[in-house]
Amino acid sequence: MERNGFLSLSGVASRYGSTQVLTDIDLSIAKGEFVALLGSSGCGKTTLLRVLAGFISPSAGEVRVRHRDVTHLPPDKRGMALVFQSYALWPHMTVAQNIGYGLKLKGVPRAEIAARVAAMQSLLGLDGLEARKPAALSGGQRQRVALGRALAIDPEILLLDEPLSNLDARIRLSVRHELRALQKRLGITAIHVTHDREEAMVMADRIVILDKGRIAQAGTPEDVYNRPASAFVAAFMGAENVLSLAGTPSGDEFAIEAGPVNAAGSVPLAGRPLAAGTVEARFRPEATRLFSTDEVALIGSGITFRGEVAAVSYPGGHWRHVVRLGETEIMADAERAFEPGSRVGVHVPADALFLFNSSAPQPASSISRATSGKVHA
Amino acid sequence: MSRRLLGLALVFPALAVIASLFILPLIMSAVGAFQVEGAFGWGNFIKTFDLYTKDILFTVVIIVLSTVLIGIASIAIGGYLTLGEHPVAVAILRWLYRWPMFIPFIVVGQILRTFLAKNGMMNNTFVSLGLMTPLDAQSFLDWRGIVIAFVWKQTPFVALLVAGAMASINRDTIEAARNLGASKLRVLLEIVVPQVAVTLTVGLILSFVTMMSVLSVPLMINAQSPTMLTADIAFRVNSYGDYGVANALGLISLVLASSVAWIYLRISLKERA
Repeated sequence: MERNGFLSLSGVASRYGSTQVLTDIDLSIAKGEFVALLGSSGCGKTTLLRVLAGFISPSAGEVRVRHRDVTHLPPDKRGMALVFQSYALWPHMTVAQNIGYGLKLKGVPRAEIAARVAAMQSLLGLDGLEARKPAALSGGQRQRVALGRALAIDPEILLLDEPLSNLDARIRLSVRHELRALQKRLGITAIHVTHDREEAMVMADRIVILDKGRIAQAGTPEDVYNRPASAFVAAFMGAENVLSLAGTPSGDEFAIEAGPVNAAGSVPLAGRPLAAGTVEARFRPEATRLFSTDEVALIGSGITFRGEVAAVSYPGGHWRHVVRLGETEIMADAERAFEPGSRVGVHVPADALFLFNSSAPQPASSISRATSGKVHA
Repeated sequence: MSRRLLGLALVFPALAVIASLFILPLIMSAVGAFQVEGAFGWGNFIKTFDLYTKDILFTVVIIVLSTVLIGIASIAIGGYLTLGEHPVAVAILRWLYRWPMFIPFIVVGQILRTFLAKNGMMNNTFVSLGLMTPLDAQSFLDWRGIVIAFVWKQTPFVALLVAGAMASINRDTIEAARNLGASKLRVLLEIVVPQVAVTLTVGLILSFVTMMSVLSVPLMINAQSPTMLTADIAFRVNSYGDYGVANALGLISLVLASSVAWIYLRISLKERA
């Protein structure tokens, strides 16, 4: 088994002119693993994919496949095939010619190419379309032709550059599962670039979150969702509510001092290296429990804030409230609607409360503000 | 009703100019080609084919050959500008290749006369480099000179169109082919050129028609027989006042030019279908 380092990157850096796009990327990917590179635009995820594919030479570090240094090999000598965001199908070739071109380049006999193309077409549900030109295909069909073209050469590693972002929202949901099932069936190693958190969550074995050219966190979907390593990751994974709290670690617990909007409370440290002082608290709207202040709240481990409902809307499934806590506003979901103006308590359970020692102003807070702005509108 | 009249009145000047300066002379020339001393007949064409069959073939061969060479050269230039990886070389080529476009045909003829003659600059250079002896020097001032002049003058125009079209194709289609292992040459010929085929064809057709009408280059470079139809037309008119044969030659040129224009029309119809 090549569990360890089938594909490995060590110390990879890349610069574009004077801009450092990637810094110190260390990553080891096992054979057959599906890894999602997740990040907002400009975080360097596509650059990283292009370094892997061989279209960009890294300014430092190396890329290894099966312990073989491929850093400076040309794109076609790496056993990797890339599926482009634009699909990049050749408009003057038919579906069959598009899929078979890689084999033609390898000098495979014509009869064998035809057989492989036919097999690829039936694998991807493209039967009967072999004579069509890309312009006569639907978006989903084009995407499958692009996938077929990459898979036809039987690559060890499949690189996917936001392959679903040009599809209709509804098709995208089913293609996610098809693509994942196909990858499992073929046992191929896949690296999937996306800016869609949910897409990364449902498709990947492991998510690598990039922030400003660095790996912010790499872990299973449950890991990055429930145990974000930094405020950035927490914000990116949907914990957009942000508040400033003060507290001190004591034993296995982190004791939170009472503040202007919150009662005192404590949460288990669970191995988190938190220091005494001001901490940034982040949590998801759906993790909260709302209750009116005159109710008797049964409160477990966690923390409770007191505030006033500023607005309420129904996005489907639950009611979303904008709750004013002193100077800041947070969002909180509840099964029933609370009238604007009513005094409420907002309870955040311990396991859903992410705490980080706040140092410099985090870039994550800008994300929080942008998102809450969208909800107000 | 008055609006319609106003519309016609507004179009009239333009229509009148086209009709009197273009359509009428064209029809008169075409009719004139069939008139011998006041009567209709094939006389001018019989005379034309008697005297100038060789020149017609000469013209067709030279222009077809030039068109092919222009096509190859402009694909090479456009291809290097699109796929070239050496930024300095690409920048130099990009700056350099357009210059001949701004030089008139007559000047091209003049330049190449001094360059290609038996004791011209090219041969002198070869002799002084010791690559050949003065006895082996030969003049290129014949059909080869015309082809060189046409290719030199027209390549930048076609290359400009082709390079523009190549620059606007989706770069991912090039990288997808590189990713699958296509060499630069295969990418150029199998991925890039097919995507700019229409632009290339249009450029070559426009170039073909332009070359059909150039008089100065054959006069400057190839003042002998056989020569190109334009030189023959000028000779017929200037030396003999023989408009009949000149018109017949003109009509033959028109048919040759129309044949490629017809290819162009077919392509554009197919594109729309």
